[in-house]
Amino acid sequence: MSQRLRIALTKGRLQDKSVELFEKMGLDCTPIRHPGRRLIHSVPNYPLDAVLAKAPDVITYVEHGVCDLGIVGKDTILEKGGAFYEVLDLGFGRCRFALAVKEGTDFYATYKTRRVASKYPAVTRAFFERKGMDVDMIKIEGSVELAPILGLADGIVDIVETGATLKENGLTPIEDVAQVSARLIVNTASMKLHKQEILDFIQQCQANLSGT
Amino acid sequence: MNIHFNTPEGTRDRLFAECLERRQVQSALVDLFRRRGYAEVITPEVEFYDLFVHSGSPLPQETMLKIIDRSGKIMVMRPDTTTPIARLAATKLKTLPLPQRLYYDQTVFRSGNAHEGGSSEIAQCGVEMLGATGMKADLEMITLAVDALRACGLSGFHIEVGHVGFYQDLASRMNMPQEEQERMRLLIEGKNYAVLNDFLEPYSAQPDCAALRRLPYLFGGAEVLEEARTLAGACTSLDYLELLYRELCQAGYGDYVRFDLGLVHQIDYYTGVVFRGYANGAGAPVLSGGRYDNLVELFGRRAEATGFAVDVDAVGGCLEVKVPQLRTVIHYESGLLGRALEVMDRLPAGTCELSPCRTLSSTMNLASEKGALQVLCLDNSGERWLEV
Repeated sequence: MSQRLRIALTKGRLQDKSVELFEKMGLDCTPIRHPGRRLIHSVPNYPLDAVLAKAPDVITYVEHGVCDLGIVGKDTILEKGGAFYEVLDLGFGRCRFALAVKEGTDFYATYKTRRVASKYPAVTRAFFERKGMDVDMIKIEGSVELAPILGLADGIVDIVETGATLKENGLTPIEDVAQVSARLIVNTASMKLHKQEILDFIQQCQANLSGT
Repeated sequence: MNIHFNTPEGTRDRLFAECLERRQVQSALVDLFRRRGYAEVITPEVEFYDLFVHSGSPLPQETMLKIIDRSGKIMVMRPDTTTPIARLAATKLKTLPLPQRLYYDQTVFRSGNAHEGGSSEIAQCGVEMLGATGMKADLEMITLAVDALRACGLSGFHIEVGHVGFYQDLASRMNMPQEEQERMRLLIEGKNYAVLNDFLEPYSAQPDCAALRRLPYLFGGAEVLEEARTLAGACTSLDYLELLYRELCQAGYGDYVRFDLGLVHQIDYYTGVVFRGYANGAGAPVLSGGRYDNLVELFGRRAEATGFAVDVDAVGGCLEVKVPQLRTVIHYESGLLGRALEVMDRLPAGTCELSPCRTLSSTMNLASEKGALQVLCLDNSGERWLEV
């Protein structure tokens, strides 16, 4: 008997891209595309059940082993960490973490302690630790761009895709912090208990990646 | 004053079924360990912080719960038991002949991240064999690990065996800067196939590169040993694992054993065979251990050692434990307590209780409130069973 695998997908853009990938693999994703009120979506022609979750919850579900697999952005992995296997860079959802400041200001031109706003305090802290710099970290939950505009922070560390939002708000990225893309992660115990099923799935994903 | 009636983050009250699960696992393990000649030790719940720093503990300091004592020294709530046992083996047991077989059944304390559902109090039951090295000692440890999970009543489980020497041999033969090696180790530990592949691209001309690339995949049944042999050629750690596996099969343990040559965690701590136990229903290893030949020497006495710990509650969570239901309430007339107790001791534990009520009608009410099925009424005329 083949074990049904359960995968947690990050809601939103990564979900659409994941579904595209699955369909390229020949999976019938109708239940995921039309979820209705159901919370667990069974793929009819592959032993796979999908649940949709917010990015940090994907990691939580996989870490605790209630989902065998997950698709989540590297940004969330860097911020939250955790014990799981990160087996594949799926290549989509590509963007970068960048340090951005108000246009025309020089972030490094002073010895005064800089103040940095971010939704990603752990990533930000690690970045400045590597530089040997003390900064005041302010955690912002919503639009981080607002913080330097209002004068709360000297800079922000945030996800940048095209840079358009930054530009519109008079901010400019001055340094890359890390590259980000979607990753396939696997629970450590599931990998050992359902080796064949999981390796097959990884292989099929990998085979259908090119060009995305 | 603002009084807190909840328990601190990471701790909790355990009730009924959770206690039964834990005790059932503990008593199964303790019985087994005693039968196999292991003697119990209990170490302090509070130790000097320095002990764990001195021993190069792989636990990061933020995971240790610290207390400052009256003299200003930093203490920690015991974050693991192996280090204290290494300390006592090198000091208190200094004059005893080796090997020494010790077991423990105690809680370790680790402060995890908030709101992640982890517990700061981890009930561990484990063994250490000090002063024995070589195949027979490793075989004893792995068979004991199999029997430990079997004794607990787990059905679907296996013990996964690796050897730190395999990775170390491959890595040492690579012409690669030290810090790059550490990056490679992390990629292998995380089974980060794709990134490892790219990472090794510039090294692909070197003969051991192919084996390192495959290393994250080298887990599963005995066939991975064959594949590793084809990839890596002559290698003493593989010879060792092959022989170990043959012996395990001969002893009837082959079906419970698998391999993962990519077990490369805590590479500076472990010195030989490492292993982990996985059970159906648990999202993380329920048992982990391995050989650590250099730890005890740090405390002044050379003693090669191996051991493992079982995460008691993780195993308990995989078991179906039935909590006994109250069936019988015993009502007795004054003067008949002796008889009531006699009857009670003959019934299955947890299925009956004495009524503290004076009248039979209050006892009947109590029995119905508590959901009991029957009342046993003892009086001078004898005993009567009454339906509730």
